[in-house]
Amino acid sequence: MSAEEEVLWAEKYRPKSLDEIVNQKDIVERLKKFVKEKNMPHLLFAGPPGTGKTTAALALVHDLYGDNYRQYFLELNASDERGIDVIRNKVKEFARTVAGGNVPFKVVLLDEADNMTADAQQALRRTMELYTETTRFILACNYLSKIIEPIQSRTALFRFYPLKKEDVVARLAYICKNEKVECDQKALETIYDITQGDMRKSINTLQASSVYGKVTVESVYKVLGLAQPKEIREMITLALQGNFLKARDKLRELLVNYGLSGEDIIKQIHREITGNEINIPDDLKVLLVDYIGEVEFRIMEGADDELQLNALLAKLAVYGSKYLKGK
Amino acid sequence: MPLQWFLKYRPKSLNEVEDQEEAKKELVEWIESWLKGKPAYKAVLLYGPPGVGKTTLAEALARDYKLELFEMNASDSRNLNDIKNMAEKASTTGTLFGIKGKLILLDEVDGLNARADAGAIDAILELIEKTKYPIILTANDPWDPSLRPLRNAAKMVELKRLTKYPLKRILKKICDSEKIMCEDEALDFIIDQSEGDARYAINMLQGVAGGYGRVTQDIARNLIRKKDRELDPFEALRNVFWAKYYWQAKNAVTDTQIDYELLMRWFDENIPFQYDNIEDVWRAYDALSRASVFLNRAKTVGWDLLSYTFDLMGPGVAFASFEKKKPTYKARWVKYQFPQYIQLLAKTKESRDALDSLLAKIGAIIHASKDKTINDVIPLFVQYYKKYQEKIDKELELTDKEKGIISMLTSFFQGGQGKEVIEKGTESGKSEEKKGRRTTYYRRKS
Repeated sequence: MSAEEEVLWAEKYRPKSLDEIVNQKDIVERLKKFVKEKNMPHLLFAGPPGTGKTTAALALVHDLYGDNYRQYFLELNASDERGIDVIRNKVKEFARTVAGGNVPFKVVLLDEADNMTADAQQALRRTMELYTETTRFILACNYLSKIIEPIQSRTALFRFYPLKKEDVVARLAYICKNEKVECDQKALETIYDITQGDMRKSINTLQASSVYGKVTVESVYKVLGLAQPKEIREMITLALQGNFLKARDKLRELLVNYGLSGEDIIKQIHREITGNEINIPDDLKVLLVDYIGEVEFRIMEGADDELQLNALLAKLAVYGSKYLKGK
Repeated sequence: MPLQWFLKYRPKSLNEVEDQEEAKKELVEWIESWLKGKPAYKAVLLYGPPGVGKTTLAEALARDYKLELFEMNASDSRNLNDIKNMAEKASTTGTLFGIKGKLILLDEVDGLNARADAGAIDAILELIEKTKYPIILTANDPWDPSLRPLRNAAKMVELKRLTKYPLKRILKKICDSEKIMCEDEALDFIIDQSEGDARYAINMLQGVAGGYGRVTQDIARNLIRKKDRELDPFEALRNVFWAKYYWQAKNAVTDTQIDYELLMRWFDENIPFQYDNIEDVWRAYDALSRASVFLNRAKTVGWDLLSYTFDLMGPGVAFASFEKKKPTYKARWVKYQFPQYIQLLAKTKESRDALDSLLAKIGAIIHASKDKTINDVIPLFVQYYKKYQEKIDKELELTDKEKGIISMLTSFFQGGQGKEVIEKGTESGKSEEKKGRRTTYYRRKS
């Protein structure tokens, strides 16, 4: 796909080769060495979202194999693949044929590897060893601590740090110029502040803001305001007003119709309860946050999310009737 | 042996079927959609407890529309080949209506044994896919996990237990036709014992009348015992909510054959209907949510822990109400309902699939998981989608269903104001935005 055709800026403006990457200088230097030597160990990329892990991996394979890198490259996402068996089979299939050309191995990128359970990571480790002759793995994760030790010790670690403000703002300004969109410098800085340097989110926010014409601080805030679903706040409000059944309906709608996961919802609830939009006394916030944290933990452990969230809504209804008076 | 009355008096036409108005309406709509040549569903899954008229309705429907009824008992594994043959024939043979029209009836699909009848579900699915004739499947319990593919492939039509008056009309009609003296109280007693099962009620009537030539309360009481059956979810729930002792509540959840995850959904659904006091509701949900935690622990750490799941699901829910401590306590009679969450999941299958494929398509382009796509990308994506719609539709090869999902998500994130705001632009929009977003909902109780 040529760059002209791409409509999603986040992809259109993704650096295609290592030379184009402005940030993460140390990392890029080390990766370039691999390209030069046509050899590399298994790699572990760790860092916050939007700091260039996937970009670096894609650029690396692009530089290794040229424009047709796709045939030597398998991209998997641990949170999309259902279980280690699926991953294992895909890797097995992929590793069956050896790479042609002058690079003696193929590359598997496994994104969000920290979403795998410890057991699955053990199995992954064995898979990595099994195909190490023909395949190199790049594992990407947000939290290094969630990667088991044996994998850490078998991979070369690359730590990605949040991008610098001036770099992100400069990139956004470049995109504006290229897309012939007017923008305020202040607006671009606001985007950085809010996305905390997450490049993908920043570019996406920019593209959404450009819909309103000139990109201003106001349009950025509008975009981010609209990006927060109101339904979660409505659900909380209903529960606090004691309308448990309606709140439960809302919850089911969010889970089923809008495809949000229990974890997404509980995180949003946390944000809403601790934020300023719903007016509840601070001491009540503390009580609620403790329980919200417990619910998030249970959902992460694997308990049924709809049940856990319903329990939380019932708790909100109880506290609502105890501490607050409707309207 | 004389002809069994429930066969002799089986309604010949939909008009004669007592009760089940909703199901009748749905069946007629469905068969007429076939008639018009465009059925939204090729098959109907007719479900409900025994003796509520599943087979009767299928036969009456066939007769009303002059269709030849092709009946097979799905649970007979010898019929696996027949189903396969049927799939072949049904896919090729001619027109639906007129003399050669057929209606295929597969009875008791829930009788299929997942292991012994492996392949039967697939064969039925293939039949549904290929058929040129309408198909009716029947089941007592359609919620068995192994039947999920059938639930997705067929339109679900529920038959409820018959209520008292329709049942009484049925029995009275039979008494009249057979010229038998029947006491009103005796009929009431029979109806009470039958628990909405018309076949059972008619059989009992015949049993009493056959031996004695008349049906009196005394005879009925002496002859009839309640049916033996496994605890269904309704009873399990009632036994838990009405339990006065710990062991009663625990037995209620351990005695039933219902899958415990399904049973949890039943509690989940009905707690707020049983308990009025929000604190009771909360305590019940708290126990239930702990039950789900222990179920997960049992699965991952060891099945010994399952016992705690039952403790919390049964007694935990039962004793959530402090009212129970009062000696005068009596549980409220509540009509329990099927877990809406499961029904919602079944109903929205198609749109959830479309959402899934949409997320996969966007995710593939931007190298992100579906989870990340819906959380980080979609809220922003829907805001600029309109502007690039043509290009995006083309680049992602979006189907109409996926486009529908985008507009659903757009209204989700933008509320009613979405379109308006885009057209108005920033200047006029911002002041109301600020005003609207901070609302005081509550005051502290003084």
